[in-house]
Amino acid sequence: MGRKKKKASKPWCWYCNREFDDEKILVQHQKAKHFKCHICHKKLYTGPGLSIHCMQVHKETVDKVPNSLPNRSNIEIEIFGMDGIPAEDLREHERQKNGGKSDSDDEEPAAKKKVEIPLTAPPPMMMPPNMMPPHMMGQYAQYGMMPHMAPMPPFLGPGGIPMMPTHMMPPRPLFPAAMAAATTSAAAAAHAVAAVAQQKPTFPAYSNATISAPPTTNNPNITAPTTSSASASGEAPKSQVVTSTSGVTSKIMHPPEDLSLEELKARRLPLKINSNNLAASSSNRSNNSTPNTSAVTAYSTGLTSATSTSSITTNAANAAATAAAISKAQEVATMAAVVQAQAQAQAQAHAQAQVQAQVQAQVQAQVAQAQAHAVAVQQQQQHQQQQQQQQQKQFEDLNRVVMLQRIQQAQAAAAAVSRPGATAAAAAVGMVKHLSQNTASM
Amino acid sequence: MFGQSSLGSTSTNRMNDFEVVAPPEDSVSALEFSPATVQQNFLIAGSWDSSVRCWEVEQTGKTVPKSMKTMGGPVLDVCWSDDGTKVFIASEKQVKIWDLASDQQMQVAAHEAPVKTCHWIKSSNYTCLMTGSWDKTLKFWDTRSPNPMLAINLPERCYCADVDYPMAVVGTAGRGLIIYSLENSPTEFKRQESPLKYQHRTISIFRDKKKAPTGYALGSIEGRVGIQYVNPINPKDNFTFKCHRSSGSTGFQDIYAVNDIAFHPIHGTLVTVGSDGTFSFWDKDARTKLKSSETMDQSITKCSFNANGQIFAYAVGYDWSKGHEYFNPTKKPQIFLRSCYEDLKPRTT
Repeated sequence: MGRKKKKASKPWCWYCNREFDDEKILVQHQKAKHFKCHICHKKLYTGPGLSIHCMQVHKETVDKVPNSLPNRSNIEIEIFGMDGIPAEDLREHERQKNGGKSDSDDEEPAAKKKVEIPLTAPPPMMMPPNMMPPHMMGQYAQYGMMPHMAPMPPFLGPGGIPMMPTHMMPPRPLFPAAMAAATTSAAAAAHAVAAVAQQKPTFPAYSNATISAPPTTNNPNITAPTTSSASASGEAPKSQVVTSTSGVTSKIMHPPEDLSLEELKARRLPLKINSNNLAASSSNRSNNSTPNTSAVTAYSTGLTSATSTSSITTNAANAAATAAAISKAQEVATMAAVVQAQAQAQAQAHAQAQVQAQVQAQVQAQVAQAQAHAVAVQQQQQHQQQQQQQQQKQFEDLNRVVMLQRIQQAQAAAAAVSRPGATAAAAAVGMVKHLSQNTASM
Repeated sequence: MFGQSSLGSTSTNRMNDFEVVAPPEDSVSALEFSPATVQQNFLIAGSWDSSVRCWEVEQTGKTVPKSMKTMGGPVLDVCWSDDGTKVFIASEKQVKIWDLASDQQMQVAAHEAPVKTCHWIKSSNYTCLMTGSWDKTLKFWDTRSPNPMLAINLPERCYCADVDYPMAVVGTAGRGLIIYSLENSPTEFKRQESPLKYQHRTISIFRDKKKAPTGYALGSIEGRVGIQYVNPINPKDNFTFKCHRSSGSTGFQDIYAVNDIAFHPIHGTLVTVGSDGTFSFWDKDARTKLKSSETMDQSITKCSFNANGQIFAYAVGYDWSKGHEYFNPTKKPQIFLRSCYEDLKPRTT
């Protein structure tokens, strides 16, 4: 912009000289940077306010305004946003600004560029990072508006979407978000709070804005879309941890392997779900082993990359890299050995179980046989007894028949010999009687 | 429908719901109510203990075990035929048909790797069984023939699927998402970019006001559900929401998998059940949560609505979300039923 206009309109902080787009942001900045209690982090509204707070609550004196320029550290002077700035300092600032513009841009402190992350004018998105369920759905209206922001690069910076403002100096870094990330995360967090007036993208990537932006990798273990540091290595992190801008650490309750829960559970049943018929079992085993081999190949590629980079670094680094590679290889070997041992143990257990089952079956068969035998023997005995009884009966019958015949014969003989001699008849009768008695008694 | 349960809430029946008698011995992997063509309410549950169990659910809330079949291995999915006389059971690499009347079972489908999903398709000119497997294929079977009538290759292992004629949708490993049209013959309709950044776990088709299938709800292991329309009028119609997460107020938040999603057959509202052991009712049009349950003793693995939307069934059991170390075989799974028609009414505003 050519002519020098009176630029008192741009708010600036008296304590550290930084400029802001908006007075609201300036106030937030002051509260976070200059009026914040270093003991309890409570944010006060003014310098004197901070001083009184520290005295009353912590019994500590504050003599300098934190993070202030040496000539602007007076805690007694009451500044709130742009109010309270002494007229002289105002003028001085104006002069400096106008003078500085015509000069080289290098005088701009790096910090200033970082701070000047002008926030676009999206609709106000006051979204606390952890949505309480009843309010959760309230943000859909806002989510719905996210598509408007789709074209913007989703820099997950400290809290703003960096854009190139027209009045910025040329040597402005291309990636202020990246630069900002390079500073302390605490400062970033503070900035996030400071910049919350206009916008607080909790999970900007997790809106339909990024539906248009295809995901970068297939790896389900990626953490937050830009914080790739956690999963930089080929191996998945032990637990899937996501850290959001607001500093909440989230952990996904899922085993780290890239398999579904059903596949993981099925792996623990080697007999059943993995190998039912021999033809398919081999292919299935190869399916199941691919995760392991991919892990191994990940390790090996990790190793090769380590050794390739070591050629560029110094010897000391070289030695360290190879040492690390060796230990990694050892780890892999032990892991493989452990897996093998487990597999063997399982196979042994299975074999034992089979043997036991066989033995049991045999025993049972024997028992059954013995029982059958016993039953057969019993039956035979019963049969024999029956036979004997029958035989006895037959004998008895025969005897009776014989006896009756003899009696009849005797009676007939007695009748035929009825005249000659009563004694003989009497004797015969007596004999008959005797015989009949005998018969009756039998 | 059936009034208050006479049981008080015991330590595991946190919601004071009706508990199904004689549940399986291992986690429930499939839970389906009989279709509307059947007058009574029958509930089928497939389990990791290789069993498929059938109960009749009476008006009073009482459950009567009707039958049980034991398969050769863990059951991963079940589905009813459209007339409610047969049940398809996906167990290991096969799918078997179980004729409930004759109590006979027979194999009708086979894959090279375990079958993860099975759905019955009924159209005006054909009926068939759709099976999705970890062998990266989707096959369609005329149950009278041992060979599939159609086999489609998937980009990755099939993890979840749903069918609502004439639409079918499949979620695969690697966050794949494919929509099929079932008219005339199953054909791939389109592939969509997944709205979720993490592994797909469950998918369920929903209908529009005219009862035509129009989109799906997709759940991932990262406590999030994406509502996607096949042909959105407005890109803003698609959205995702977070669920099944601990509060994070302490600075740490636990994120749990969404294990199952089901849509109410009448109201069109949905329920999600999570690894965290809770279920939640949602209204996707009002974009609001309707109700959240208490936290159960174990994860909730599956859920189902009965045909007229009066009963909501959910199965509680360990889902392996913390690995094998946390598997406790003495902690038995449970299935609960609750009267849900009122709870799932949409928000009027």
